[in-house]
Amino acid sequence: MSASADASPDEALVGGLYAVDPARPLPVADGAAAFAASRPGQPGAFMALEVPSGMAPRAAALRALLDSPLPGLISPLAHGPATLPGRKPALYVICPSLPGPSLAADRPLWPARELITDVLRPAAAVLARLAARGLTHRAIRPTNLFRAGPGEPAVLGPAWAGPPASRQPPLYEPPYVAICPPAARGEGAIADDVYGLGVTLLVLALGQEPMADLDAAEIVRRKLAFGSLAAILGDDRLPPGIGDLARAMLAEDPAHRPSPAALAEAGAGRIGIGVGRTPRRASEPLILGAEEALEPRALAAAVGGSPQHGVRLLRLGAVDKWLRRSFGDTALAHRIEDAVQQHGREALEDEARADAFLVMRAAAILDPLAPLCWRGVWLWPDGLGPLLAEGKSLPGLADLVDSEAISAWAACRPGRIDQALALRQARQNRMLLRTRGWAGGTARLAHALAPMLPCRSPLLGGRLVADLRHLLPALDSAEKDETRLPLDPEIAAFILAHAGTALEPELAALPGPPSTAALAVLRVFARLQEPLRAGPLPRLASWLNACLAPSLAAWKERRRRAALEERLAALAAEGDLAAMLRLLEDPSARALDAQGLKQADEAVRRIDAALAAIAAGAEARAETARRLGQEIAAGIGLVAVAATLSVLALG
Amino acid sequence: MARRPQATAAKSPPERSYAWVQGLLCGVAATLVPGPALLVGLLLAPGLVSLLLDQAPGKPMARAVLLSGTAAAIPPLAALWHGGGGVSAAIGLVGDPAILGTAWLAGAGGWLLNEMAPLLLRLGLDAASAAHAARLKAERARLVSEWDLGEL
Repeated sequence: MSASADASPDEALVGGLYAVDPARPLPVADGAAAFAASRPGQPGAFMALEVPSGMAPRAAALRALLDSPLPGLISPLAHGPATLPGRKPALYVICPSLPGPSLAADRPLWPARELITDVLRPAAAVLARLAARGLTHRAIRPTNLFRAGPGEPAVLGPAWAGPPASRQPPLYEPPYVAICPPAARGEGAIADDVYGLGVTLLVLALGQEPMADLDAAEIVRRKLAFGSLAAILGDDRLPPGIGDLARAMLAEDPAHRPSPAALAEAGAGRIGIGVGRTPRRASEPLILGAEEALEPRALAAAVGGSPQHGVRLLRLGAVDKWLRRSFGDTALAHRIEDAVQQHGREALEDEARADAFLVMRAAAILDPLAPLCWRGVWLWPDGLGPLLAEGKSLPGLADLVDSEAISAWAACRPGRIDQALALRQARQNRMLLRTRGWAGGTARLAHALAPMLPCRSPLLGGRLVADLRHLLPALDSAEKDETRLPLDPEIAAFILAHAGTALEPELAALPGPPSTAALAVLRVFARLQEPLRAGPLPRLASWLNACLAPSLAAWKERRRRAALEERLAALAAEGDLAAMLRLLEDPSARALDAQGLKQADEAVRRIDAALAAIAAGAEARAETARRLGQEIAAGIGLVAVAATLSVLALG
Repeated sequence: MARRPQATAAKSPPERSYAWVQGLLCGVAATLVPGPALLVGLLLAPGLVSLLLDQAPGKPMARAVLLSGTAAAIPPLAALWHGGGGVSAAIGLVGDPAILGTAWLAGAGGWLLNEMAPLLLRLGLDAASAAHAARLKAERARLVSEWDLGEL
């Protein structure tokens, strides 16, 4: 049976309100699959953005914007899973339909004045409001800015159906973001949106997208080597009217970029901080594999991208020598030397982990703006959850958490990150990873760090569950496989992410031996059924009942067990998990069973002792028989003598 | 160096032999009442022989043979007594194969009884034990089955 064929009417509505029409795909917005949507009884057109598989929508932004959408921004209206005919179940984010074409499609060349009045100011005003709520947009580019028509202010497009900046081309992101995999870019800061807006202004003013034919790595390399503005402009001249703005907005250090509020008030000439200068270079390049670096930031990228070469050069002292002699920064060289010495101490315990720490520390020292680099993967700490959620087997992510590398990385960036917070998060992540059984592991961590990640357990038979209330009904309607428990690490992680830690002890005991596993699962589901008002769950109960056979072996009296099985089957047919649990955990019945078992055990031991005594008593019986037999023979002889004498005496 | 084992048991005192008393009594009896002594000696000859052969404590076989033989010897002894008790009368009685055979058969019966009684008793005790064990095993099997006790 296909997933779409058995979709209930509710499964076709997002948030129970919005009907999605899969026959009307919309031009791609935010790079996501989008369909027309409607809300019965409410006029207006809506758009449903599909969240790609393995990705979680942006929880914080959705929570903040659902109730109070912002003007000038395509804000989310609802979200939820839906099963559309012909498509796999997916999460959808409902937004108002786009007001018009994107700026990329509107016109090839934009005059500076129009850019400032129609694009910069309205977009910066929205960013200022987002910043006031502690949010970022992270999808500012010409294809995701829209306007109703000429003279109308631009509207920021949707950016909610996936991890932050996951659909941004590297051109529109600072190099310290673009270097990360799309899922690992993190929420970032509003200054990163300012950067994206600055690049957007430049692209619209130039009438073309620079570096369009280059891959992401080359774009990052050029931005690091020449500075973002120089790399983007290339041989082009800075467009008149927005030159100072672009220079300021593309400053390498986010602290040097203007705030959105300042930009919203800006005229063409009022903001011009002039910090977009070309980075200082060394007199000689440092060769690292196929790369050569003339600046510490480029060297950081090269070391992180090629950790083996990087570790070799660092341990040989080539990096600090280059910093001292060719780049002329003794302080930086000293810090690298300290990191290498620390590596020497750490390598005594675990050399591979010490190498990873060395590369991470060196990258953070050489480029204080850079994200964390761990075994060749660049990521921002808040990008760890979406990265884990992708489910790709990236090497060493678990090791990153287990070693609390995030707190070590934060220690290398004093003043740029809250180190106490980083330490707390690192410890919490490690605790989640190390938690026993199915209450821990990478699945638990992924769901804890990406709370809107839907449950995609194979036990759900292709269904997708984003709300804990739908989990038990989904399991109830899934095809049961009695050879497996109806719970796996993915479902356990999903439950813990949505139901808190009350069920952690039960889930930590899983998988466990078969005699206790099914009972633990029943305990979890029974404790969810009533609070979630899941109603009767006969199929799930029957599935669990089939798995409970090893648990029933704990009941020793055969008659009692048979009665229990019969009663369990009846309760399973009613779908009452709580009643099944009460029956199995009845303390008085269990005490009776245990007492009976003890008595039976003692009786058997007594019988065994008696049988042993009988088996060992053959010799004693023979002796008794011999002695008694001889006495009887003598007695008969005496009786005969007495009888003869009596006969004689009587005559 | 290993110590020599100490003598754990004291030497038991030598058993006294009463054979001379028995010989003396037999001599006195043969002298004083030769007829009855001859009759008793011949009729109870199996018992007397078994007294010599039986080495078991308490001489149970000799006891059974003697008692059975005695029961058969009493009527001829009484007849001898009533007939004067002479040696010739005793020889006459002993010459009667029925009397001698009865006495010796009685002795043999005593011996047989002494051998068979323990055997039959043992068979009986074993049968009772087997029946008891069977009842216990059945009860054990019921308990094991009902309580899933497995092989204890």
